[in-house]
Amino acid sequence: MTALITQAVILGILLGGLYALLAAGLTLYFGVMRVVMIAHSAFLILAAYLAWAFHRATGIDPLFSLIATVPLFFLLGVVMQRFLLSRLKPATLTMMSVLLTFAIALIIEGMLGFVWTGTQRRISLSYSTASLEVFGANIAVVKLVAFGLAAVSLLALYLLMKATSFGQALRATIQHKEAAALLGIDTEKVAGYGFGLGLATAAIGGTALALDSTIYPSLHWHWIGPLMAIIVVGGLGSIPGAAIAALVLGLSQSLLQIPLGTTWAQTVFYLALFITLMVRPQGFFGGRLAQRF
Amino acid sequence: MKHSTRRSVLMSVDQAGGTSTRVSRPGRRRAALAVAAAGALTLSACGLGGGGGSSAEGEGEEGDEGPVTIGISLPLTGDFSEPGKGVQRGYEAWAEYTNANGGLLGRDVELIIYDDQSNADRVASDYEKLINQDQVDIVVGPFSTRLVVPAAQVAQDYGFLFVEPAGAAEEVFTQGFDNLFYAAPAIANDHYNYLAEHILAMPEGERPTTAAYASMDDPFAQGTAYGLKEKLEEGGIETVADEVYPPNTTDFSSIANKIANTGADILVGGTQYQDAVNLIVALQQLDYQPRLAAFSTAPTNPEFPEAIGQTDGILSPTGYTPDADYPSNAEFVDFYTEQHGNPPNEDEANAWTTMQVVAAAAEANDCADPSPECQQSMIDWLRENTVDTVVGPLSWDAEGRPQAAHLIQQWQDDEIVIVLPEDASDAELSYPKQDW
Repeated sequence: MTALITQAVILGILLGGLYALLAAGLTLYFGVMRVVMIAHSAFLILAAYLAWAFHRATGIDPLFSLIATVPLFFLLGVVMQRFLLSRLKPATLTMMSVLLTFAIALIIEGMLGFVWTGTQRRISLSYSTASLEVFGANIAVVKLVAFGLAAVSLLALYLLMKATSFGQALRATIQHKEAAALLGIDTEKVAGYGFGLGLATAAIGGTALALDSTIYPSLHWHWIGPLMAIIVVGGLGSIPGAAIAALVLGLSQSLLQIPLGTTWAQTVFYLALFITLMVRPQGFFGGRLAQRF
Repeated sequence: MKHSTRRSVLMSVDQAGGTSTRVSRPGRRRAALAVAAAGALTLSACGLGGGGGSSAEGEGEEGDEGPVTIGISLPLTGDFSEPGKGVQRGYEAWAEYTNANGGLLGRDVELIIYDDQSNADRVASDYEKLINQDQVDIVVGPFSTRLVVPAAQVAQDYGFLFVEPAGAAEEVFTQGFDNLFYAAPAIANDHYNYLAEHILAMPEGERPTTAAYASMDDPFAQGTAYGLKEKLEEGGIETVADEVYPPNTTDFSSIANKIANTGADILVGGTQYQDAVNLIVALQQLDYQPRLAAFSTAPTNPEFPEAIGQTDGILSPTGYTPDADYPSNAEFVDFYTEQHGNPPNEDEANAWTTMQVVAAAAEANDCADPSPECQQSMIDWLRENTVDTVVGPLSWDAEGRPQAAHLIQQWQDDEIVIVLPEDASDAELSYPKQDW
């Protein structure tokens, strides 16, 4: 029994790490722009497909596809923000952004199906099944790699936000856009870069996902729900909040699978969402921003 | 697609009235296969009859002019896209083969295929559309129980015969359908019968004592796993894990964790394709080594060995083997292999079988049109008769259950061989299985 639980805790933390990275991007969009980005998980799957296609075409480790996909997704994010999302009326921005990004998600899904068909794809690596034994529990190498990617990216994101002047400008824009503009920050530009940053996390997350999971075009629908729940629980706009909520919920999901089974364990995200909305609608960590919103 | 010189006849009127205009068979079309995109064109092909040209061969003299249109909805995308496409290849191969060999009742065969995206609502409306708008002559089934049941209901409402390649779960046969026939040797719960017998016949010390089951929340997948579970439990083999997961599950680490923790001797997966691969990889990561592992469907997929690496010892029930010496099988395998470069597997064979069954019913009754008389006569005929197919002679009970059993195959030295029953086997079942 202890072995079972130890293993579940380890799997939960590894899963939570991946959730944390993916949710970080999603909450960043909302923080910077009040945009609900339904297409975030579609970009995730797009990145996963690019990693798979790269591996299939070259035989090189899919992690190297990040060299191209991260800058590409950053640029895509900037372009998307500049030419699509910033054109929406501020008064209805949140609502309309749902529709707009929903459409983008459908376009990505359709294109993936068109180009690579609906067939399930999986990257087959020499280390796909390798694992390390720690305290009697097995840790799959691919999961560890995915977790490492997530941890490094989150740390980089954190340092970027805290220690650079761009990060300061970004945080200022998140906290109070008008005040930031009065201080001379080009908030439009900052918002564009912020959006690009969010999409870059999707590139990393998607590649991490592709290492250890089959992918197919409509897979993103299974990801967006839990991710949305995580950012609400963590407090909209708060990156540390999203990371903590992701770890807690990932761990809960993994542990709840033992008594409840896979089907019911999934509901933990939505239960957490309902409870958050009932007792602390601003989220458990974000606080101020969501309250004001 | 349409020859403009032909005389037009309003075919739907002919069909409704049960009469036929004597028109000779048009020259064979080069592109006899219609895919979903050609649906609109096909509609016009249904409405227009041929005229002039050479006289018809054989029974075509009496038949309705124009091609026999066969309507199908298949899961070409979504959860069942992998087997769905296999079924599509089988149907299309049969149509090409038939058209190259004199057609059905002397008429060309044309397929109208829609993609239902593995969606049970979509599949019902697809068949409504095939019957009402496209006015197809015959419908045949989609892939998987979850889609077969709603599809069969539509066919039943319109009085259509419904032969299907992949609705094997018990649910299919308890809905009160009187138009349905499953074109494969056995229903899901009986797939593992030979394996159950074999395990229970093992000597006391050697026989496994515990079993873990993991199954997709899907009637077919669960049917196969639970059919075996029931028999093994009766034989005294203890169930130590019984996991059910939703079809969209991609993360199997927790399920694998629970199964690995039990250390069960036998692992049974009620699986389709990607779930089996993900589950096996997750179990490999946890270094769990069962003594016997059996999965439905997935191990016969051509991509399976590459996806999981070490396949040796993995068992799978199959309703089909390309090596079987049933009369029509060699022709099927040769034709298919020539077309695709590899021999057909079970999905393709089941699709081909479905068409063989329909064709036999149509030929015996000398009709292939949507009229209730024709459809009913085909249904009645199949109730009474045995059809020779590529999976062997098939006959059905009153609910449409086929009356035969599945073969058990095993991966050995990177090849898949039949191991049970012994009188049809190519090799002995290897037990315990090699580590994966």
